[in-house]
Amino acid sequence: MNAIGTIAFREWRTLFLSPLAWVLLAAMGGINAYVHQVLLNEFLENSMRMGMFGGAGVPPLSISADIIAPALGNSAVILLMLVPLMAMRLIADEKRRESWPALASSPVTPMQIILGKYFGLMLFLLVVIGMVALPPLTLFLFGKPDVGRVAAAFLGLILMTSAFGAVGLAASSMTKNPFVAAVAGFGALLMLWIAAWMGDPSGGLLERAVSYISFVTHFENFLKGVISTGDLAYYLFITALALLFARQRLMAERLSG
Amino acid sequence: MAETMIEIVDLTRTYGPLKALDRINLQVARGQVMGFLGPNGAGKTTTMRILAGLLSPSEGTVKVGGIDLIDQPNAARARLGYLPESPPLYPELTVREYLTYLAQLRGVSADRRKSAVDRAMERCGLTHVAGRLLENVSRGYKQRAGIAQAIVHGPDVVILDEPTVGLDPIQIREIRALIRELGGEHSVLLSTHILPEVRMTCDRVAVIAKGKIVAEDSLDGLEARFQHLAALRVRWNAPPALEAVREIAGVGEVEPGAEGWLITPKKGADPTPELVRRSVEQGWDLRELTPTSRTLEEIFLNLTTTEAEQNGSAKEAA
Repeated sequence: MNAIGTIAFREWRTLFLSPLAWVLLAAMGGINAYVHQVLLNEFLENSMRMGMFGGAGVPPLSISADIIAPALGNSAVILLMLVPLMAMRLIADEKRRESWPALASSPVTPMQIILGKYFGLMLFLLVVIGMVALPPLTLFLFGKPDVGRVAAAFLGLILMTSAFGAVGLAASSMTKNPFVAAVAGFGALLMLWIAAWMGDPSGGLLERAVSYISFVTHFENFLKGVISTGDLAYYLFITALALLFARQRLMAERLSG
Repeated sequence: MAETMIEIVDLTRTYGPLKALDRINLQVARGQVMGFLGPNGAGKTTTMRILAGLLSPSEGTVKVGGIDLIDQPNAARARLGYLPESPPLYPELTVREYLTYLAQLRGVSADRRKSAVDRAMERCGLTHVAGRLLENVSRGYKQRAGIAQAIVHGPDVVILDEPTVGLDPIQIREIRALIRELGGEHSVLLSTHILPEVRMTCDRVAVIAKGKIVAEDSLDGLEARFQHLAALRVRWNAPPALEAVREIAGVGEVEPGAEGWLITPKKGADPTPELVRRSVEQGWDLRELTPTSRTLEEIFLNLTTTEAEQNGSAKEAA
């Protein structure tokens, strides 16, 4: 456990020492603030229109459903692109710049290395999510968003980010080239994302299966404020699977050299 | 004999059909500096990577400080420090941060960590660059930082893979002195193909060629073993006929030359007294008689190349 913490803290510090992390934080913050502003303006326009013409036959507007949920849905798309960029260095870069032997010849198991790297990345990504949370949280000053629903949406975002990070780490364990890792990680995540377009949750077995493996299917439930064991299990399963894959890669490397 | 710190028994490593290591056996005692010689591609780095736990052996056992590397990898690795061919550095860290991180990772307790890092920096001459980023220090300091990380956790065994490659002559001398000093406290396995380095730093030598250990001995022992190959260089003012020399008891091969004749004795024989006596008796006017000992280079070549290859390279040279 000690070794995992040591590696995680080192990784977290290293992320903040790289300009990439700061650039990504800036990009994420800028886009996020812009999207939030657009959604807020739309919300205000709609609410004024409803005030003028009455809301007959239209569902009532809600801050959590009409601003926070779509904003977080949007953040998820940005994270889909950014997390592989943050995760690409984790293992691939250690191999490329040949610092890997210092870690691999230390008394730590491959699982400890993987978990240390993963938690280090997650610590950083939680900072990113914290930044994403700031604009929606300001709405609590001016209105009464549904706390439960907002919390569920954030839980969903954290779980999804965790799965993104684990897949990115797995991609990083496969190569010595961080850019190859970033592209592979992004490709895998995008496939899991767009699987929803092909699938159909009420269709045949295959369509339901394809729909089930997509991130979107499960994330939508969280955005609606629904926390189900099935969706929780899905993200934890993807995360665990990706981490085990990465560990397997490290073990296999010792055999194949 | 002192406690055995590195014990390699029947170690084999294959890469697909290629046999990189073929049943090698090697022992290094506590406090000993063992030179590990061999041409490129002979299996030095493979052996060292297996010892460091980066590669699994295909067959055979490896023990570090009596602990089996396969059964208890973490316990064994805690007693071992490894410097690969290029120092494993984190360029974004300062020298002190880097060593502190690795000391912590290798289980140096918090209260001893600072003194362990200070001591490693002092031994490697890094103290005055402690606060500098690793990416900004010179090649020599990078190499020293690499050695410092291999000893910071006070391991019993230190494995150094070609530690002086790419350094300038002054740095090389300093690093060699450091390695010499490491022996005694640590057991050191040092790979190199620079032979004078072995003479300066090592107690014993193991020579590896084509995945096999072809010799393992003390330096003097190795040279003594090849002493019978040594030749006599003889010069006369009035050189005799070739046959006259050949018939002297104990004389093996005779090569006349302008720089003197090279006379190789038969194994175990010493024709020197007889040569001198005849030279005087028959008036050949002996001017010079020098035993030429085999250099380490020659022994190394003799061990690591087959006769066909030696003839081949002789032809190329001709």
